[in-house]
Amino acid sequence: MPARLPLTSQRLVVVTGKGGVGKSSVAAALARVAVSANRRVLAVEVGRGRLGTLLGAAPGGLEPRSVSPGLAMATVEPEDALADFVHGVLRLRMLSRRLLQSTSFQVLAAAAPGLPEFLVLQKLQAWLDARRLGRRVYDLIVVDAPASGHSLPLLAAPSTLGALAHLGPVGDMLRTVGATLADPATTLVCLVSTPEELAVRETIELHRELARRLGLPVGPPIMNAVPPRRFVRGDEEQIARLEASGERHPWVTAARLLLERRREAAAQVQALRRALGAAPVRLPLLYAGPEAEGGIDALARTLAYAALAA
Amino acid sequence: MTLPELLDSRRVVLCVGSGGVGKTTTAAALAVAAARRGRHTVVLTVDPARRLRDALAIGELDGCPRRVPLQGGGRLDAMLLDVKRTFDELVAGLASTPEQARRVLDNRLYQNLSGTLAGSAEYMAVESVLRLSETGGYDLLVVDTPPARHAVDFLDAPRRLLALLDSRAFSILKDPTSILPGAGSRIAQLVLSGVLRGLERFTGIGLVREIGDFVRAIEDLTGALRARVAQVHALLASEATALVLVTAPEARLVGETEELARALAAVHLRTHGVVVNRVLPRALSGGAAPSSPPAGVSRPLAARLARAFADVRQLAARQDATLEPLLRTAGAPVLAEVPLLATPPGSLADLDTLVGHLLPEADTSAAPARGGRV
Repeated sequence: MPARLPLTSQRLVVVTGKGGVGKSSVAAALARVAVSANRRVLAVEVGRGRLGTLLGAAPGGLEPRSVSPGLAMATVEPEDALADFVHGVLRLRMLSRRLLQSTSFQVLAAAAPGLPEFLVLQKLQAWLDARRLGRRVYDLIVVDAPASGHSLPLLAAPSTLGALAHLGPVGDMLRTVGATLADPATTLVCLVSTPEELAVRETIELHRELARRLGLPVGPPIMNAVPPRRFVRGDEEQIARLEASGERHPWVTAARLLLERRREAAAQVQALRRALGAAPVRLPLLYAGPEAEGGIDALARTLAYAALAA
Repeated sequence: MTLPELLDSRRVVLCVGSGGVGKTTTAAALAVAAARRGRHTVVLTVDPARRLRDALAIGELDGCPRRVPLQGGGRLDAMLLDVKRTFDELVAGLASTPEQARRVLDNRLYQNLSGTLAGSAEYMAVESVLRLSETGGYDLLVVDTPPARHAVDFLDAPRRLLALLDSRAFSILKDPTSILPGAGSRIAQLVLSGVLRGLERFTGIGLVREIGDFVRAIEDLTGALRARVAQVHALLASEATALVLVTAPEARLVGETEELARALAAVHLRTHGVVVNRVLPRALSGGAAPSSPPAGVSRPLAARLARAFADVRQLAARQDATLEPLLRTAGAPVLAEVPLLATPPGSLADLDTLVGHLLPEADTSAAPARGGRV
């Protein structure tokens, strides 16, 4: 049975995982799937990365920019979100600029547990709530979140900061954002991994933190870059015989490399499935790279199948 | 300078680079190579995969080096870096009284600050290096740097910590009105403290006050900490330390390597060379594609073999396109290329295989150790 990845009803999809596993490619493909299902999508990257290139968007910042019909994109730098927030509170531009530039304020912002992260979340909430002429501006927000180590503080911000701020407008915002993140009808957290030991281990740890400790709705894991099957039963024995007879043909060397990589990948897919009790959605390794013509669309087709199965 | 020369002459070899490039494994293999060359070596590692951790026989975090059971000679210890413990020990060591130490350690912002404040995690790793270099009795320390968002955090950490300890920054936290131009003026003070109170009320966080408390508690340690930071930076910048950039031929790494090179230059540190991991066998990337299948292969299998070869060639082409700008931005010579391995190295035998790739022609048995003890 294919893994289920419900995508047609949620409003917020957060894509995260170890650095280098292809989060941006998966986020871009998920955005494409949703657009092709006629949803109005905002793709958001936290920190400047490769999402814009993969979607074919012009560079930009906090202000959403149109990419194609049904698709817009925004780039959130935590520093910009902080500046946005401080200007909003202080209203005195000269004073807030001085404050933001001072080393000590940066220290304060770094020390406030989850403050920069909260500001990013609060921006996401504003986009979720945005309405124009009585209807929602965006049906779905796909977030290309930072790598695990920085995503965890981001997604944990409502609880870490909540312990400090009970009262006031920030306390209210925290409760709203926390409820949005925890609601399975609204939010889906996608963990991306590659079939390598370190990535799988980090995915398992991240799953424990996000699903068990924070109680967030985490979907089936997405195993990216799985080498596609290239050989049939009996081939491997023949290849082994060729090697045993001293054959150094480059085709045989290449075949051995792919066979070994596929064996390791299968073991890692199993390890992930056993640890999480859910079959991962498998995405093929793109030999020409995700940025090559049709790369993201190929990933989107596989994801669409998983999405439709839900 | 070649890799064998580096391993024979330096006291500290720092492996730097982005996350996921095989830094930990490379550091372990370099340490094995150095030990085999007769140097009493310790490898400080951050977060090894289970298989590697077992191979090095480092169990849980206990903050002290463990002997690695190397077959066939060589003295090698391995140690896991424990950032939190190092920070706690540093505070305890620098404080003049136990009460002073406890005031810092008990502060409820301390835990959060010790994790996020100005790269203290990275700084603490350097601190461990300094401590071992002073007291460990080793010839060579091989250091696997922590996974940082920007690989430079580790090296830049001492400077940033010093910037933070700058008395002006601290005085602002103690007295926020000092950011205003006419700092002494009563009106300025009234305006700003009003704004900050408003900010506290709005956010519902008593942060300004709490951080002020923390800063006053840690301030007494500043002088000692500053001296320590200066020592760390001196060690990193000295001739005794070599920086080895570990990378892999992946598109995402080009930008990160560029950033790293810039940041290294900014702190006057120089990369001595580059280790490139996960390189496809040259036999597959270079040369003309064979036109005929291997002898005695059925036609359907030949088609599948040709397809596999085409896949790998495509990977190789991408790799070559990435490698050239990557090495240009790194600005240092390639010390070694390690071929792509299907499974990550998990045993000491695997590490020895890696050593063979890192130091191909080196005779690992005879070379006597040069250079003094650390």
